[in-house]
Amino acid sequence: MKKLLWPGITAVLLLAYPLVFTTPFQQRLGALVLLYAIAASAWNIVGGYAGQISVGHVVFFGCGAYASLALFTHTGLPPVLGMPLGIAAAVGIAAIIGTPTLRLSGHYFSMATIAVAELARLVTTNTEFLGAAVGLSGPTVPRTWLDLSFISSVPYYYLFLAVLVITLGITWWMERSRIGFYLRAIRDSEKAARSLGARAPRVKLIAYLLSAGLTSVAGSLYALMFQFVDPESGLGILISVKMLIMAALGGAGLLFGPLVGAAILVPLEEISNSLLGGRGAGLTFVLYGAIIVLIARFRPDGILGLFQSARKAPEKHDA
Amino acid sequence: MMKRSPWAALAVASLLAAGLSGGAFAQQTVKIGAIYPLSGNAASAGTSAKAAIELAVDIINNDHPELGDITLAKGTGLPNLKGAKVEVVFADNQGTPAAGQNQALRLITEEKVVALHGAYQSGITTTASAIAERYGIPFMTGESVAANLTERGFKWFFRTTPIASDIADVYVSFLKEMKAKGMKIDNLVIVNENTEYGTSIAKVVGDTAKAGGFNVSMVIPYSANTTDVQSQVLQLKDAKPDAAIFISYTSDAILFTKTMQALGYKPPILIGDNSGFSDASYLRTVGPIAQGVINRSAWDIGKPGSPTFLINEMYKKKTGNDLDDTSGRVMQGFLALAEAVNRAGSTEPAKLQAALKATDLKPNQLMMGYKGIKFDAKGQNILASAMLIQAQGDQYVAVWPKESATAELKLPYKAWEK
Amino acid sequence: MSATLVQVIVGGLLLGAIYALFSSGLTLIWGMMNVVNFAHGDFVMVAMYIAYVVYVLLGGGPLASVPIAAVSLATIGILAYFLLVRHVMRGPMIAQILGTFGLALLLRYSMFGAAGANFLSLPDNLVGGTYEIFGIRLQASRVVAGIVALLVTAGLHLLLTRTSLGSKMLAVSEDATAAQLMGIRPDYMQAIAWGIAAGATGIAGALIATFFYISPTVGETLAIIAFVTVALGGFGSVPGALVAGLLIGLIESLSAYWIGGVWKDVVVYILFIFVLWFRPQGLMGKS
Repeated sequence: MKKLLWPGITAVLLLAYPLVFTTPFQQRLGALVLLYAIAASAWNIVGGYAGQISVGHVVFFGCGAYASLALFTHTGLPPVLGMPLGIAAAVGIAAIIGTPTLRLSGHYFSMATIAVAELARLVTTNTEFLGAAVGLSGPTVPRTWLDLSFISSVPYYYLFLAVLVITLGITWWMERSRIGFYLRAIRDSEKAARSLGARAPRVKLIAYLLSAGLTSVAGSLYALMFQFVDPESGLGILISVKMLIMAALGGAGLLFGPLVGAAILVPLEEISNSLLGGRGAGLTFVLYGAIIVLIARFRPDGILGLFQSARKAPEKHDA
Repeated sequence: MMKRSPWAALAVASLLAAGLSGGAFAQQTVKIGAIYPLSGNAASAGTSAKAAIELAVDIINNDHPELGDITLAKGTGLPNLKGAKVEVVFADNQGTPAAGQNQALRLITEEKVVALHGAYQSGITTTASAIAERYGIPFMTGESVAANLTERGFKWFFRTTPIASDIADVYVSFLKEMKAKGMKIDNLVIVNENTEYGTSIAKVVGDTAKAGGFNVSMVIPYSANTTDVQSQVLQLKDAKPDAAIFISYTSDAILFTKTMQALGYKPPILIGDNSGFSDASYLRTVGPIAQGVINRSAWDIGKPGSPTFLINEMYKKKTGNDLDDTSGRVMQGFLALAEAVNRAGSTEPAKLQAALKATDLKPNQLMMGYKGIKFDAKGQNILASAMLIQAQGDQYVAVWPKESATAELKLPYKAWEK
Repeated sequence: MSATLVQVIVGGLLLGAIYALFSSGLTLIWGMMNVVNFAHGDFVMVAMYIAYVVYVLLGGGPLASVPIAAVSLATIGILAYFLLVRHVMRGPMIAQILGTFGLALLLRYSMFGAAGANFLSLPDNLVGGTYEIFGIRLQASRVVAGIVALLVTAGLHLLLTRTSLGSKMLAVSEDATAAQLMGIRPDYMQAIAWGIAAGATGIAGALIATFFYISPTVGETLAIIAFVTVALGGFGSVPGALVAGLLIGLIESLSAYWIGGVWKDVVVYILFIFVLWFRPQGLMGKS
């Protein structure tokens, strides 16, 4: 019973947020926190649990965003129907690039994923079908409710909350399954995991495919809300980095780490931009950078990391 | 401790969010929102645009009889709103369509602005204006040129700047005239960066040039913000164009100019399309090795004592740089927006929209060299136009067409040669 | 072979040497400590601004700006080590990315606040001019940067392989605990490594400033190329970074010339992924 107390309180708070904070900007802020929390939680499956630090997850985010808006642009169907296509594309791409790249150790994997993401951005920039440099737009005026185009952010908020719950549910289930056990073993030492009987490449690939598919859903949701994607906003390296730092800041490899990271960084960025951005001296990012540095300096395991280290020995980086 | 953290973090976030609510609404001011890239790669342009809008506000709010017929220069504030002052709330779009849209929402709902102006990058103008459309708040852009912006069927979107087709017409008429005067101009090469701006302008200019009887022998697209352009310059050298047209942002424009000097190549005519070549940083950093570069512009400093000359002096005093064309177009868009607010005599959205639709400004009321400002049903200014300016010494001077020229056109392109 | 093609190749190799130059500091830290410095590009940026300030305040060229930038950056590197990196290394690998990415934003936007968003540039005649040899045009500033790239690579390589300081540093990177038992203080050695690496980055930045533009976001443009160079060469391999840099410069130039400027990076990334497929430890890295 006690175990469910805090998750329960968190759930009530999340459900009540848009009813307590009623201005459109506050509600949008809440929706954005959830959107980034979905993306960072999806990243967490492979980056946190399996310890394979992808800096190219934006490829999968882009699959979702582009599938939704490309479907609308070329067929006129509601963007939300592109979501399954995006998932299929993301899982397909993950299967193709996962096999060779997941063999790479440590930073080599990170660098390979950056290269893949940049490749995707450059190719998209030169592909007419995907809107090339101009990008793709959604329906300018909603035609039916299926376009999921709302003035208020509240419908998005609850939609994103539902998807976040599903994402965290899948993660929770995985964490407790045999796969989760193997993933943690692999993260701590791949050799040891093999001796435990884990087929490391296969387990890592499963986590990678799952993570890719969920990240793609975040991309589709982004496209529904903003109704626009171009190569920089759909496939830029900054989005990959944001997923990573949100998860790392909250606590990578912890179920609620990405949500906490997003709940800190998204309001920090939006509010400091609102208060300071108009002065035009880059103060927003000085503040943003300073806070990240301080958290990394004093809580390298992330905000929730303290109780993780109590549970298991701090990991060593394998060279 | 352990279980408190997520909750505490969420609570902090909520408190931060709560701190934003509310927003005082002063009686004697009319608030207008301005969204520009004040950080990120385009911050150089965004910062100049911000200074230009601040200058426009100074012109509107204070008495400037010396500026002649320029809208709202005489007298203080907005006379039809009992002399209310204009107040601008700036927001940083951070170079991302998401931040641009978030800030547009904040300006409309928290700051209660009566209209928006922005947002430099066309992609960000797309998302930011979509929010304004939904809330029924006018959105004016003085600078975003993407053709599709006015093709979306929006009722609250207005644009004062010339677009790709206007720009292409200027280049092609100019080249035709030079050809008629006996210069050898057949072979054209277009060099463009491959984001939306470069790609769309390059396409329209290429098509217009072909229709005008020129041979576009090569189009050289390249990735924006590149580290090196030697190969592109060598491709250009191989193609031996009679005129080369560059469509580049600032960093690449600087890099191209430096690399062309290093490789000892200059085409007989070099046209740099606005943007990067207009940025004040361009002439300051590579002006001495880019003498004679021709640039599209609707801005001319003009003769000493003229309103434009005085505006430039004010801008220079504020920033240390001459006013560039892009910032000038921003400023003109903002002045036109303020003029419409004044004419509406109200901050009610429907009245503002009606006033904007009825806008009919004459050339003498404008600081930019447009033939006027009058919007079609899509919100595009049908009287927008441009002229050509040329780098001579440490500034650009108007050289074409003849009726607006203030200096002699000097060809061929001299670049670094004395 | 046409004169233009020779020019493309020469230009590509010089460009590659410059890539190697600004990657050498990154590979040293990467190899020594298995730390990836996401602020590397911004270290280069700071060095470029230092070169600009030296020129404006002292009227000095690279002879003054290179040593000043090297010393300043070495100081920044050592400070970054003691204030941030040392603590971040206690956490998981991802904490390094978090910390150095935060540092990157901090440096980039502090410079933005101090110097403004405007683009700056040093005068073109600061390092010689341009010379024509057998029809090939060589820009003195790039040639100087290329030569210095070779010298820095050789210097770092000799330092690591031929000096006692180098062997102590390598001992720490192999096994910090064993090194400590031998009386070597790991954090001193790692601080020295950060100082040397950042100093080399300072040299690179001051030289690149002589022919490139300077802006607060210039580090972003350069950083990804540096990452690819270092990974392609093999983490920790200083000669590897040189070979990889030259290769990338050459491929970029040739593919931009033959296929087109928008595809040059595509070719580089495909080659990079391909190399990692067959050699997961990079061209010259230890497996």
